Amino acid sequence: MKWIPYGPGAIMLHIADRLGEKAFLISQRFIEELERHPPFGLLEIVPSFTRILLEFDERLVPNPMAIVPDLELQLKRAPKVRATRSTVKEISAVYDGPDLERVAELNRLTVAEVCRRHAAVTYRVYMLGFSPGFPYLGLLDRRLHTPRLPSPRTAIAPGSIGIGGEHTGIYTVPSPGGWNIIGHVLEPIFDPGRGSSPDGEEAMFLLKPGDRVKFVPVKEKTR
Amino acid sequence: MKEPVVEIKKCGLGATLQDTGRMGWRRFGIPLSGAMDAHAAGWANRLVGNQPNAPVLELLLQGTQLVMLQDAWIAITGADAGCNLETWRTVRVTRDQVIRFPRNRSGVWIYVAIDGGFEGPRFLGSASVYPRAGLGSPFANGSLLNRSSHGQFAIQAGVAGRFTPREERRDYDSTEPLRLWRGPQWDLFPEKERQKFFAQRWTISPESDRVGYRLAGTALALDSTQIISEPMRVGSVQIPQGGLPIVIMRDGPPVGGYAKLGILDPDDLSRLTQYRPGLEVEFRPVEP
Repeated sequence: MKWIPYGPGAIMLHIADRLGEKAFLISQRFIEELERHPPFGLLEIVPSFTRILLEFDERLVPNPMAIVPDLELQLKRAPKVRATRSTVKEISAVYDGPDLERVAELNRLTVAEVCRRHAAVTYRVYMLGFSPGFPYLGLLDRRLHTPRLPSPRTAIAPGSIGIGGEHTGIYTVPSPGGWNIIGHVLEPIFDPGRGSSPDGEEAMFLLKPGDRVKFVPVKEKTR
Repeated sequence: MKEPVVEIKKCGLGATLQDTGRMGWRRFGIPLSGAMDAHAAGWANRLVGNQPNAPVLELLLQGTQLVMLQDAWIAITGADAGCNLETWRTVRVTRDQVIRFPRNRSGVWIYVAIDGGFEGPRFLGSASVYPRAGLGSPFANGSLLNRSSHGQFAIQAGVAGRFTPREERRDYDSTEPLRLWRGPQWDLFPEKERQKFFAQRWTISPESDRVGYRLAGTALALDSTQIISEPMRVGSVQIPQGGLPIVIMRDGPPVGGYAKLGILDPDDLSRLTQYRPGLEVEFRPVEP
């Protein structure tokens, strides 16, 4: 385990050099353990592909590097988690984005082949970030890896499906962005209006870390 | 109890409700949000006897006009916008009294607190407004503000007044070097580039907001600043492609894919939020 200091009251745990299922499962295991037995003064855990940020109450734990030995001991004893066979969430997608041809051309594929390959994979939500509820989905077909746009667009509509390098994801709120837009989904991924549902405020987020997702191509539909 | 206490007659350049932030939701991609200058906002609440996390009114620069709809104790801190009330102290205001912020003289963010605290719609445990995601919305001309509870606040007989001590009131025009702790990608930056960062005075760019403050100066040279997206704390100094730093602020994304040279000491981050575009700042490293 490698620990990286990150200013007063915070510390970052480096789990793996490469993102993927293995890093995800280790991260999941550590997070569950920290949720079960939260260390003294811990305020917030922010996971990502290969690292976990731990933020403490600065007045209680000004220098978390000092408690690293305790943390390591706790995490090493954490029970293993099994690859969760969570049900697959199917999301209707229209492959009609402005960058479909660019993705096809750069990868020497036909547009139809790009859509087929993108919809063929069952993805896992490795993390949420960038904007509220924005899912980073893995793993993207190697043949679809596409560099970001040379200059980012200033406005991308929520629901847009993008490819950025080796990632694919879905924009959730109006924002600028440099990913290649290949289509859009029909259901809002983030909707604060759903927060008042009986399922509680988490219902704002359609997808949560660890969820499995499959895109179901549907015919053109006006937004 | 639900009677409005303040009318925002004119919202000015910007008026939102903010508290200490939306803790616990960054793993869902929700920024921390909360008052930009935690120091000034904290003092506003303190002066009227509120809890530190009570929502305060955050105003941008100038132009706001408030009308009191009830009697209250009020405290105004932060930027100096030529307010007609005394600032950085507890003031008794009465119904129909008008509070103006006509002209910005120093600082960026103004904070207003009343005894009992303001009330606003809460999302994910916080009243901090984050319009981009539809978590609350900024105030418009004519917006009404409710009071959370009728405070039992009163200044004890025999105490002439309650105010912030002089040494706690900050000068938002004098820029002492800001303390920078090492960030996760400190080692990715060659020694020469780090020296370049600390040796120069950076100018705060007009393209600065609640998401981030951009700094203009001599760009740092780096082969690539892209990393696997990872968590990013508020106050981080991120170096994107192009080499010009961005200080991540309260509404900044909780994860990011660019290298972070360091992170500002929280107290100095508060100071930086009050520095207006055009001011020059410099940084000094905190030895680990």
